[in-house]
Amino acid sequence: MSELDPDNAQAAIEHCYDQGWSDGLPLVPVSQPLLDRFLATTARDPGEVIGRLAALDRHVTIELAAINAALAGCKPEYFPVVLAAWEALMAERAAGGGGWQSTSGPAPLIVVNGPVRDELGFNKAGGVFGPGFRANATVARALGLIVRNAFGVHPHVFEQATQGLPGRWQMCIAENEEESPWPPLAAEAGIAPGTSAVSATLLRTSEFVDNRHTSSAEQLLADFADTLGRSGAWIFRHGAAGIVFCPEHAQMLAAAGFTRDCVRAWLAEHSGRTVAELARVGKDGLGDRGARHASGERAAGFDRVLAPDDPHHLLIAVAGARNAGISMVVRIFGAWSGTAVAVAPAPLPAGAVHG
Amino acid sequence: MPNVILDPTGGARAVAAAGQRAPRRADLAGARIGLLENTKHNADLLLAEVGRLLVAEHGAAEVVLVKTKTAFALPAADELIAEFAQACDVVVTGVGDCGSCSASAVADGVLLEAAGLPAAVICSDAFVATADAMAQLRGAPGYRYLTTAHPVAILDADGVRARAKNLAPAVAALLTS
Repeated sequence: MSELDPDNAQAAIEHCYDQGWSDGLPLVPVSQPLLDRFLATTARDPGEVIGRLAALDRHVTIELAAINAALAGCKPEYFPVVLAAWEALMAERAAGGGGWQSTSGPAPLIVVNGPVRDELGFNKAGGVFGPGFRANATVARALGLIVRNAFGVHPHVFEQATQGLPGRWQMCIAENEEESPWPPLAAEAGIAPGTSAVSATLLRTSEFVDNRHTSSAEQLLADFADTLGRSGAWIFRHGAAGIVFCPEHAQMLAAAGFTRDCVRAWLAEHSGRTVAELARVGKDGLGDRGARHASGERAAGFDRVLAPDDPHHLLIAVAGARNAGISMVVRIFGAWSGTAVAVAPAPLPAGAVHG
Repeated sequence: MPNVILDPTGGARAVAAAGQRAPRRADLAGARIGLLENTKHNADLLLAEVGRLLVAEHGAAEVVLVKTKTAFALPAADELIAEFAQACDVVVTGVGDCGSCSASAVADGVLLEAAGLPAAVICSDAFVATADAMAQLRGAPGYRYLTTAHPVAILDADGVRARAKNLAPAVAALLTS
């Protein structure tokens, strides 16, 4: 197509870099006509404020979110998913409490449920945490650009991540509902199966569990319990975590009679470390402010990592290919709210007839 | 005419009114000390020790108010600032020892100064960039605060007391000049 002008495109991309808007990768320069196509996908007022960062006295509107979503490379039709993901993320306590400035440099994990997965081409199967799918990659990136540009949180200035983590602003997965033995994640939060919805939380790391070694559900769960109980990720009295099960592991557990709640209960009981093991790494002490410390004075015992009184201490989703027993344990920054946000349907174009 | 490229930041913001630094006293003689502690590990002991030394060695009357922030990531609420303004002559606050709390400790200092209270903010020296950025954001570029060597959280009690001993003269100086 002769009218495509790479030289102009490159100049526009460089302009975006020069303004400090980029996360490091090229951005899509946004014009008013493109913004209008994004705004046409929602019935909401462009001026509506959808998030505030009180510490920096900044806020984000529907319109600013749309500009950043376009900048990230989203198609306009992804925008209702971006809005749902943002709302889900804002429901997490850590997102409003200094998380974006934190030395831990947390990364959102976004989980998409419902028909929107296939309609927009979200990957739910092989390589679900990896690149290659525009919807997954750009929806996650859009949230990062909102934090950077609308909230003004830049690395080395108001963002003080010591190292951050691989996959920051890149983790948006669709749940593999078709090969999951359990109801969709969003259904746990009360959203009817078959409705498009998004869940989100903040992570500090992820670590695979590769177990193609046993046909015993208990042995498989014990392997997860060992990873969940690691002391390195454990800083307070309890910690929250998640597991993105591959279909093979989820189906094996379900065949042995384990529902999501049964998996949670088993892992809550078995995941942790002995007091002696925690003393060896200086994390046995339990102060009144919650952070562990070196004590050396506690009696022998076993500390559970998952809080017994928190129903949302373990997020469980199913994604990936059914070709191996490889699942992902994720460590949640703070707590998971256990909520999900329905994706609002796009308004009908002017003149369209209902029915 | 091509379309303009749209700005994703919301555009230029009104800069906060220039932060007024509170007038300084000639010395700390008879001064009522307030301590605003931000829950970071060792902050309580460090501030208590600094307060004790300001009384023992710099002539302050006593530590009259000790408060703990409920949200270390956020600037102190207006009511809390007013409480210090009511009860104290000077305030020591910190320890800025994380990404959000170091910035908000400086924001607290700027708010306390605007309420007429000389403030000494203590931050770990690993967070100078974000502390300075917050001073700028709050309309007080170049706001003076104190740093102590990183890390603070892993010090034992004796280590914290040694830090306080080193800091106390600088705290006294910053509150009076």
